[in-house]
Amino acid sequence: MTQSNSHSVGHYQYEERDRAFLQERINEFEGQVRRRLAGELSEEEFKPFRLMNGVYLQLHAYMLRVAIPYGVLDSRQLHKLADVAAKYDRNYGHFTTRQNIQFNWIALQDMPAILRELAEVDMHAIQTSGNCIRNVTSDEFAGAAKDELMDPRIYAEIVRQWSTLHPEFTFLPRKFKIAISGSPEDRVAARFHDIGLLARPSEHGPLFRLFVGGGLGRTPVVGQELFDSVREEDLIATLEAVLRVYNAFGRRDNLYKARIKILVQTIGLEAFRKAVEEELSRMDCAAYRLTPEHVAQIRARFAVPDLQAPADAASLFEQHKQADPAFARWVASNTHPHHHDSYICAVISLKTPGAIPGDVTAEQMHGLADLSARYAFGEVRVTHLQNLVFGHVRKDQLYDVWQGLQKLDLAAPNVGLISDIVSCPGLDYCNLANARSLPLAQKLGARFGDAALQAEIGALSIHMSGCINACGHHHVGNIGLLGVDKRGAETYQILLGGDGGENAAIGGILGPSFAEDEAVEAVARIVEFYLAQRQKGESFAAMLKRCGLKAFKEVAYETV
Amino acid sequence: MKRLSRPGEGEVLLLTANRLLDGRIVWLGEGERWRESIAEAKRFSYEEAGPALERALAAAAQKEVVAIYEVVAHDTQPPEPVTAREVIRAHGPSVHPDFSYDDALARTPAQEKERAQ
Repeated sequence: MTQSNSHSVGHYQYEERDRAFLQERINEFEGQVRRRLAGELSEEEFKPFRLMNGVYLQLHAYMLRVAIPYGVLDSRQLHKLADVAAKYDRNYGHFTTRQNIQFNWIALQDMPAILRELAEVDMHAIQTSGNCIRNVTSDEFAGAAKDELMDPRIYAEIVRQWSTLHPEFTFLPRKFKIAISGSPEDRVAARFHDIGLLARPSEHGPLFRLFVGGGLGRTPVVGQELFDSVREEDLIATLEAVLRVYNAFGRRDNLYKARIKILVQTIGLEAFRKAVEEELSRMDCAAYRLTPEHVAQIRARFAVPDLQAPADAASLFEQHKQADPAFARWVASNTHPHHHDSYICAVISLKTPGAIPGDVTAEQMHGLADLSARYAFGEVRVTHLQNLVFGHVRKDQLYDVWQGLQKLDLAAPNVGLISDIVSCPGLDYCNLANARSLPLAQKLGARFGDAALQAEIGALSIHMSGCINACGHHHVGNIGLLGVDKRGAETYQILLGGDGGENAAIGGILGPSFAEDEAVEAVARIVEFYLAQRQKGESFAAMLKRCGLKAFKEVAYETV
Repeated sequence: MKRLSRPGEGEVLLLTANRLLDGRIVWLGEGERWRESIAEAKRFSYEEAGPALERALAAAAQKEVVAIYEVVAHDTQPPEPVTAREVIRAHGPSVHPDFSYDDALARTPAQEKERAQ
């Protein structure tokens, strides 16, 4: 595979000053860890330092969350993550709904060494925790999708650079999440972020539709459109103004009311917009102006894949599908059209039925890195639905890729289908959780694992969270499951009708919670009801709208 | 200091923490030593647990533990936590039987070495 320059395809190429900064930062944290272990810092004093470096103390051990900016990795980075998993953890990592990766069994004393190893491949854990602007997420098909209007990664990188260690926004009232897409199909849940940006081209240059105040968690809110058309040159100034208003007026007295969504809901969108416009009028906007030259400088540090293919690539692809029905079935669910006719985007499901959603072993990571180096320009993307993507695969080589994935046990043909379950780590690992989510996800995955049954059901999403913080995004699944503690016992609420895309909607709670096995049976009855009652081509959301929540509720509680 | 959980009939209190160095879950045992197995946890009545927790908190830095708190457990042999959360802390993540603390403690050093290879 060749590419247009020596940079990695898909993400920004570090400069030496970036690397020097990482080393300084690691030196600083190494000193803090040493002082903590020597007893010179109390846990109370140390906690803010460790959180600034992605280190949590979870249920069983320390957890390290590593940043994957806009979800893009290169193969050497994935090899390094595999090495960290094997050397310092228990031989696996967990990809999250924020396009990051977490290691669940890390010793505090090893953290500086791990960060040094990550820095060797331009990776870090900065701003993966704490009340700051977190990892900017983006479309998993960015720069590749046929339906894309413009590549959002350049702007994701610009936002990353603007927000990294921003002196005003290091101690916000609460964490702050930004997502950016450049497609008419919202694949980033833009309306469920503190700020969601939808980029589009125009004759006057790129424009950004800006949503504000969306989010899940304890108080799920669909974000509202603050501005329809922010010009490219005003993008950073506008973000700065929004953050300043939030920083000034967001609540700091109540953890549960501190997110920007509460501020926007409390004062109203119009008042919030007015405050942002007033802030913009007071700012020296020239200092924040994003010039075409700035954008070009950033763009130049991204490599563009050299998309060449033999003339018969597409016809060979069709022959492979005809010859092997299992491959054809995988293609039907696990690919997305590429803007180049001879290429295709391949989605690698991390939801092998019965497995733990998002978990990948070190051996699988090495295998994926090798496949990507050979067939996908050495680039791997992480999706917010906890799958991986090879963005640019030649159609005639996709069969080889699929066979390679089969050897890694990563060829489940279920992307977008019912066993493609999104799940947080839940009570098995998380200090905040009320109930386990992974065992229920495993049971549901196994229950609906049959490929023919999944194909018959069609597109249907299940999202699962172990607590109200909603890291598994249960509010936006067609079927959502929320773990609830009932006097020390784990039970599960079912929600129906969520949607994270253009028709953003928060699922409605069906009724009282179920015990774990009852929840599996209730979901099965809901799915059977959908299969029995749907009209031709009717989606789950459409049928729910037609029949109403009550009809599904009666079915769900039928035998309880 | 926050109010302690009150054990019910047939229940006791245990004290637990995470080890500073690696985050490993530990239980306060006899001689105020932190142990890896819940089977070695010392049982406290509600009245005994308060002063014991205060002593443990005061010695946390010296004993190299963090996040100390009390857990309600059934007064069985070994004690078994009442809540799902503490059962998982005591025995390991339910989705990874291979990470079970009970198995780890039962394994001989030779078996551990074999697993690591």
